[in-house]
Amino acid sequence: MADSPEKRGWIRRIWNWFWTPAVAFSSGFLIIAGFLAGILFWGGFHWTLELTNTEEFCVSCHTMETNLGEYRETIHYNNHSGVRAICSDCHVPHEWNHKIKAKIMAVKDVYHELAGTISTPEKYEEHRLSMASSVWKKMKASDSRECRNCHNFDYMDFTTQETRAASEHQRAIDNDMTCIDCHQGIAHSLPPDYLEEYQNVTEALNSDSPEAQQQQAAADRDEIRSFLATRTD
Amino acid sequence: MLDFLGTIGGNVLGLPGILGLALGMMTRRLWLGAVMGGLVGVLETLLFAGWQFAHVGTLELMIAIAVGVCAGTLGSVIRLKGATA
Repeated sequence: MADSPEKRGWIRRIWNWFWTPAVAFSSGFLIIAGFLAGILFWGGFHWTLELTNTEEFCVSCHTMETNLGEYRETIHYNNHSGVRAICSDCHVPHEWNHKIKAKIMAVKDVYHELAGTISTPEKYEEHRLSMASSVWKKMKASDSRECRNCHNFDYMDFTTQETRAASEHQRAIDNDMTCIDCHQGIAHSLPPDYLEEYQNVTEALNSDSPEAQQQQAAADRDEIRSFLATRTD
Repeated sequence: MLDFLGTIGGNVLGLPGILGLALGMMTRRLWLGAVMGGLVGVLETLLFAGWQFAHVGTLELMIAIAVGVCAGTLGSVIRLKGATA
């Protein structure tokens, strides 16, 4: 018989086994086994994900040497307090949803490592502005979410800050600014014309905001009314 | 494109994907599984936006709902296929 178990392909047999009720196991056994398997799977998944958050993992690619060298010259690497912010602290969100999205998007780094997009100092400099710009865009759009995992205006004691820093932080609070608005070169060297590019990033994000869209819609409405009035005349 | 795929992946491995699937497996009604999954998508987006509608991105909300609906429906299909009683 064509349908006999012996004649079926192994995929078909596995499929049938998978969907056949398990008469040999009690519901309790399956629940406990499923629960334990879930813990093992989730623990293993999370552990593996955390391994990709280590500095060793991030800089294991040749193309990360330049930005690693720059980062090592900054206060986020070496400071009086001994607290260090590694790559993932600034570039990988803590919240699960955003973290998974960042991890999936990081696949592009593997592609560019293989493609050699920034494999030489010259190529790196060529792409520095666009790479910096994409990070600024993410940080500006998220209100510097990753910075705020450690830094918070609410916890800042302005009396112990330098006068200029305290004054600028107060200005940032008053004007609803975000960390990256001022601290673009905090961990890596700044490309030439960075201020102009940052201005472009800010303008692009502002034009996407609901307020800007409402303003645009109002302007469009006025334009249509004016056009119709002209036609009627 | 990468941003779009990342958002889908984040939702598949996040609440809409996992809780949506689990809730879908609690019913044989496909529409109910889809609705429950979609609701999880809405709640998840609001949760990550700090419960402020102004911070909710339209695209992110749509993707979360779509993933939730698919996961909920798949959960109900699994229930139909895998449960005898």
